[in-house]
Amino acid sequence: MLYYGKKLVIFMISVGLLSLVTFYVSRLAPGDPLFSYYGERVEKMSPEEREWAEEKLGLNDKISVQYSRWINQVFHGNFGRSYKYKMDVLDVLKSRLGNTLLLGGTGFLIIFAGALLLGVICAWKEGGWLDKIICKAGTIISCVPEFWLALVLILVFSVSLRWLPSSGAYAVGQEKNISDRILHMILPLTVIVTEHLWYYGYMVRNKMLDEIRADYVLLAKAKGIKKSRIMLVHCMRNIMPSYLSIMAISVTHIMGGTYVAETVFSYPGIGTLAYESARYKDYNLLMIISLMSGIIIIACNMAAQILNERIDPRMRISRQSEMQEVDNYE
Amino acid sequence: MRELLKTEHLSVSFFTKSGEVEAVRDVSLTVEEGEVLAIVGESGCGKSALCKSIMKLLPKTAKIKSGKILADGIDITDYTQRNMSRLRGALFSMIFQDPMTSLNPTMTIGKQIEEAVRIHNKKMPKKQVKKKVLELMQLVEIDEPEVRISQYPHEFSGGMRQRAVMAIALAGNPKILFADEPTTALDVTIQAQILDVFRRIQKKLGIATVFISHDLGVVAGVADRVAVMYAGKIVEIGTAEEIFYDPRHPYTWGLLQSLPILSRGKEWLPTLPGMPPTLIHPPKGDAFAERNAYAMRIDYEKEPPMFQVTDTHYAATWLLDERAPEVKAPIGERRYGK
Amino acid sequence: MENNSLLDVQHLSHMFHLKRKMTVKAIDDVSFQIKKGEIYGLVGESGSGKSTVARCIMNIYKPSEGEIFYKGIPICKNKEFRKNRKMLQMTRQMIFQDSASSLNPRMKIEDIVAEPLRIYSGKGRPGKKEIEKQLELVGLDRSYMEKYPCELSGGQRQRVAIARALSTKPELIVADEPIASLDVSIQAQMVNLFRKLQKEQGFSFLFIAHDLSMVEFLCDRTGVMYHGKLVEEGRTKDIFAHPEHEYTKALLAAVPIPDPRIERQKGEVL
Repeated sequence: MLYYGKKLVIFMISVGLLSLVTFYVSRLAPGDPLFSYYGERVEKMSPEEREWAEEKLGLNDKISVQYSRWINQVFHGNFGRSYKYKMDVLDVLKSRLGNTLLLGGTGFLIIFAGALLLGVICAWKEGGWLDKIICKAGTIISCVPEFWLALVLILVFSVSLRWLPSSGAYAVGQEKNISDRILHMILPLTVIVTEHLWYYGYMVRNKMLDEIRADYVLLAKAKGIKKSRIMLVHCMRNIMPSYLSIMAISVTHIMGGTYVAETVFSYPGIGTLAYESARYKDYNLLMIISLMSGIIIIACNMAAQILNERIDPRMRISRQSEMQEVDNYE
Repeated sequence: MRELLKTEHLSVSFFTKSGEVEAVRDVSLTVEEGEVLAIVGESGCGKSALCKSIMKLLPKTAKIKSGKILADGIDITDYTQRNMSRLRGALFSMIFQDPMTSLNPTMTIGKQIEEAVRIHNKKMPKKQVKKKVLELMQLVEIDEPEVRISQYPHEFSGGMRQRAVMAIALAGNPKILFADEPTTALDVTIQAQILDVFRRIQKKLGIATVFISHDLGVVAGVADRVAVMYAGKIVEIGTAEEIFYDPRHPYTWGLLQSLPILSRGKEWLPTLPGMPPTLIHPPKGDAFAERNAYAMRIDYEKEPPMFQVTDTHYAATWLLDERAPEVKAPIGERRYGK
Repeated sequence: MENNSLLDVQHLSHMFHLKRKMTVKAIDDVSFQIKKGEIYGLVGESGSGKSTVARCIMNIYKPSEGEIFYKGIPICKNKEFRKNRKMLQMTRQMIFQDSASSLNPRMKIEDIVAEPLRIYSGKGRPGKKEIEKQLELVGLDRSYMEKYPCELSGGQRQRVAIARALSTKPELIVADEPIASLDVSIQAQMVNLFRKLQKEQGFSFLFIAHDLSMVEFLCDRTGVMYHGKLVEEGRTKDIFAHPEHEYTKALLAAVPIPDPRIERQKGEVL
């Protein structure tokens, strides 16, 4: 219990630090927050009007004062209003969150299952032509920048072939049409999956190969178990703890990838929202998005750590033995 | 007695980047029902490769170059992996050197034994499987099997793990058992216990066993017959009595002499000088010649054939040729005991 | 304290903390001395604490209680250790069981052997001649200088480890199961080598083993460890002739005898 308590405290501190850093950096960066609130009108404002507007948004005070005011609000459950949308930021977030979860979640599931499948196939046919092709192709594709791949896909499939839509989450008025949604998701999903799948597949492959070389596989063979069962039951089971913890960390990578894909495809999700809010200095919105992303990242990393230590029965022991003190007289 | 395992002029090579390694060269041996054949030799002499090639557990770089393997009268030389997996566990089984790594760390001991039971009795009801698992654990003398059954390998001591490995190996009622240095990684006192358990089980079940070791001392109490291997070849084979009381090959002399208990009171331990040859290009003539204090000119030129000493005792050394000078074995009289 | 004892271990205890309230006493009140030029055998099963003793002597672990005097210096005191660090590292050397992992796989043999001298002598890298001489001592010729550890057999690697340990002309060598993973025939070679080197160089030698068979040959005095305690100690001859403790007797009985008739009788008695 103490163990989880400690983790929780570390978690809180990390989130606090994150909010502080984002707050300062966003405010110190150049740009005019009034622009996002008043739009074009800002350019025609007199200095007095500007001052009054800044006063109204609370932008005149020192950053530290602003920060403490913001923190105070947050503890009362109020995250402020979005300058651009003139709505509570939580409502803005809510309207976009579903789209991102759909895109990122599907991407994650495909990568999770696909990497496992690819890795096992490669390990099974180690050194065979399939293994070689998958490994080589994976290395090359992983090196292609995400936005470039996205642009090429748009050029080929939307502009030239006109098979798939190039942007948005759904056509106008087709919000509830599932097939239309899927059609809109194909290109961004392709980008997200191809950028990450190989890396994790390669990891699974190497882990599997390590396991296959282990002695217990020899014993399993000697007792008459077929290769398929050894691979799928014995080896898979042993790579699962480390795979799960790797995949917990991968959530953050995939989330980053989703944000980039969303921006390129103008997909109405958190990614585009984050981009806009940073660009137009929509402070309150920016804060909540970075906080939310940060919380997910930190939580996933912690989950990975805990998973790693808890799932494998050996880990419990090795955690103990790590604690053996080794004084080195320094 | 029935011949359960037979190899005829078996040669196995590993094809590596630095060349062909002739790990097993022209080995012929038989193992009969209920008998323990010990194969003794230094590491790298091909004793492990021999067993693994019979069970087809060698990596893909290894190939059987020539010869035949007969298991229970069936020629299995050209069997595929698929065919072999049906025979493994049921006809023959294997115990490995390091019990620390030969069990799956994330599966309970019970599950691992159970799996081996199920492979060979697909339709056995659950209750009966569990009963059989407990029986096996009792057979290998694991205390409190009901508790131990749900424990993980890391909760077992080295000796207990080796017992669990034995239980797994015995789950399919195999007729032939290979034991690859089963006690080398264990403490001496544990080694003695495991050897006792092993001996008892072997007697009780009458399994034909091939016992591999680098230590002639360990083999003495276990083996009915002993084969001494050097550089991929069997250089001497005979009953345990013949090998220990009347060894004929200078290599066997050297192995026996290097046991400190046989050289008590001497200031220096007699040793075999040098190292075994590499098997990438085995030397011409007798591979042992360079380390042989009794080597004659012919040893460097021509490989000695197997000379027959008695019906069961053969040795490959030119010293047994009628033209050779008479040499007295350096370990004539036995002197041990406390 | 006696003048001729090089190493004096007094009431040594060491505990490992597993959890907050769980501690394991790896060694419990162990005392023994090693004289100058003596070969001392420390025997026990795995987990009996013999390796922990070795590590305490080499200042790898800091003992929970007790003191170790090396040449009269209490080396477990931080201050004394720091003051004498260079001398301690020059004159004490250790050899491990698994030479495959204790030798850096990416270093040539000549560099491995030269390393301790290069670091401690202050004279920079020793010449080829010197390295050659070191290798010759352990029975390896100059052709090994250019090789890497992975190209050698277990016995040869262990010889390299010995050559490395000897290069600083140590007064105490601690060998933690140096022959346990070798074939019996190679074990005999190594034991002879240890004897020869000890006679030539006159260092004191702490030989740790899990069985008694080679200890009889090599060691002047022997201590038997069981569950962290030193249960029996004395001249090797005496221990073999009149073992006192039950565990020592069990150890002696467990040494396999290469005689089928005797061994089979043993099996039937049990």
